[in-house]
Amino acid sequence: MPEITHKAFLFDATRCIDCRACMVACSVENKIEMDKTRIWVAGIGLKGQFPNLTRASMVYHCMHCNEPDCLSACPVGAYSQRNDGPVIYNKDKCIGCRYCMNACPFGVPHFDYDKGLIEGAFVDKCTLCPQRIDKGLEPACVATCPTDALVYGERADLVKEAHTRIQAHPNRYINQVYGEFENGGTSYLILSHVPFAELGLPDVGTRPVKDVSEQVMGLTIPVALGWGTVLTGAAVAVHYLNQKKALAAEKTEDKQPAEVVK
Amino acid sequence: MQIALNKRLRLSPLVVVLLAFMGIAIIVAIVRYAVGIGAISNLNNAYPWGFWVSFDLYTGIAISSGAFIITSIVYIFELEQFRPLVRPTLLTGSLGYIMEVIALLVDLGHPERIWHYFVYQNFSSFLLVIGLYVMAYSAIMAVEFVPVVFERLKWDKLAGFLRRFMKPVVIVGAVISTLHQGALGALLLIQPAKLHPLWWTPILPVLFFISALAIGVAMTLFESSLSSRFYERGLEIHLLEKLAGILPFILGIYLLVKFGQLSFAGDLKYLFTSGLMSVLFWTEILAGVVLPLVLFSFKKVRQSPKGLFFGATAVLLGMIVNRFNVSWFAVNHPDPLTYLPTFMSNVHYAPSLPEVAVSLGIFSAGILAFGMAVKYLPVFEEKEPHEEKS
Repeated sequence: MPEITHKAFLFDATRCIDCRACMVACSVENKIEMDKTRIWVAGIGLKGQFPNLTRASMVYHCMHCNEPDCLSACPVGAYSQRNDGPVIYNKDKCIGCRYCMNACPFGVPHFDYDKGLIEGAFVDKCTLCPQRIDKGLEPACVATCPTDALVYGERADLVKEAHTRIQAHPNRYINQVYGEFENGGTSYLILSHVPFAELGLPDVGTRPVKDVSEQVMGLTIPVALGWGTVLTGAAVAVHYLNQKKALAAEKTEDKQPAEVVK
Repeated sequence: MQIALNKRLRLSPLVVVLLAFMGIAIIVAIVRYAVGIGAISNLNNAYPWGFWVSFDLYTGIAISSGAFIITSIVYIFELEQFRPLVRPTLLTGSLGYIMEVIALLVDLGHPERIWHYFVYQNFSSFLLVIGLYVMAYSAIMAVEFVPVVFERLKWDKLAGFLRRFMKPVVIVGAVISTLHQGALGALLLIQPAKLHPLWWTPILPVLFFISALAIGVAMTLFESSLSSRFYERGLEIHLLEKLAGILPFILGIYLLVKFGQLSFAGDLKYLFTSGLMSVLFWTEILAGVVLPLVLFSFKKVRQSPKGLFFGATAVLLGMIVNRFNVSWFAVNHPDPLTYLPTFMSNVHYAPSLPEVAVSLGIFSAGILAFGMAVKYLPVFEEKEPHEEKS
């Protein structure tokens, strides 16, 4: 296998048979507790009128955004992004504020609400199995997928592959690769035969949701300096005027003491 | 006066009730630390933040803004007549910040790691700077308030020494406070896909700052009205009247900026078509902005204790609805016009009883602390600050 420099995976909803083997493989590989999971599989059920029925299921992973919002939001830098794409989380830094969960437009990070202080409550999310990909293996979910609904590889190749599939079957697919540009581009790419909204994917636009937040953050120091200067100026000016007024009052007092005293 | 206060605070029924609320909150907190946040709250993966953030963080910090407003008026603009209001508002502000920090320690998954704020800093995160602002401004309020304690201990020299540096301290405090109030709005900027378009806008920090000014002034009016009744003090009506006179201007600017922003962004279409969201929006605008704007425009209202109290309550209630809207009610509610479905759209959240009990207990502790401070410290009687003028 040639070396992959920008790791990504592609999900094709038309190939998914809702077997949920990926969930099991993920939990085994990453030693996730029985009642928790890093992958959700949602069946959409039957839609339409006979004989034009459609059925779809969606595998939700971390999208591994090229510009991760969780990373931008985390106050203590528990998130980091590897040069080859995967967004990973360091539980030793996490303070459990859950701002990453608010920030993520895809609702990916999830929290141990059932853990006290002693067990330790942490955020968890898909990591793209760095322990496997560093050995040249595929992520556990991809390796186990029986229908190749999930495939792993170089992001640029997968984007090309996705467009090839759409061109080969233009009637089958929605003409869009979700994740190619969404939220600044993601490393989880999705092909579907039903509208992406029906798969529960948000319409986030191509601009990363953290953009405005980071731009406004850049204004912090100018605003602080500007406002500090304005207030200091006001304080000095008011003090000066008051002193002048007091002096003037003293002078009039000196000149016409009789009138002031009454 | 001292005797009257002693009588009032000696385990009156009110104090017993407040202590009971505190006890319940402590028990709930112990359960939370032992078994987890899910055991006592309805917070979930779609609503990682809920009642605690809306009430303790957003409301608590907003009502604390009176401190920086009144200190700025007295120290920066040298309007000495407002000095009697400095100590009570500083006390309210300090307690508001302390209450928020305590609530946060319950809400955080790892409160014992709060020191990570100094070691692992990610300066693209508004939550980081908000934490730093809280710590910095708490320290500044402590410096501003501690002369009161020194006065009580008769350490007049030390109190006088501190007072000499009050002006720069107040300026730095006002800057940090401004940034903090704005940053609370900016905290929500990262949710353009989740927060309803009636509220999400890049100028959220500006709106937050303007409304914090209104809330701070209203809270000062509200608190003065209540304490004058409770402690049988005269109401400083001539001061409060002047203070209330600013409100129509602040609220008018808020109204202009808010509706200007909505029309500029082309979001006016949501005003009547978003169901519950439209209702919530009009609730905060009518109760918190339009009604008090009209009321406080009349001199008669500003001069009557009842009018002041009613108007201030309207501002507070309306603006608290605003803080709840932006941080909870309007989050994850897809609008029929721009349907934003996610697999969490159908997850709902309402706080559990123990969740509310935690906030109620912390709030009760705040009221008790206010009572204790007024009892033992010269909060309402300030000596003339001779040292300062020289």
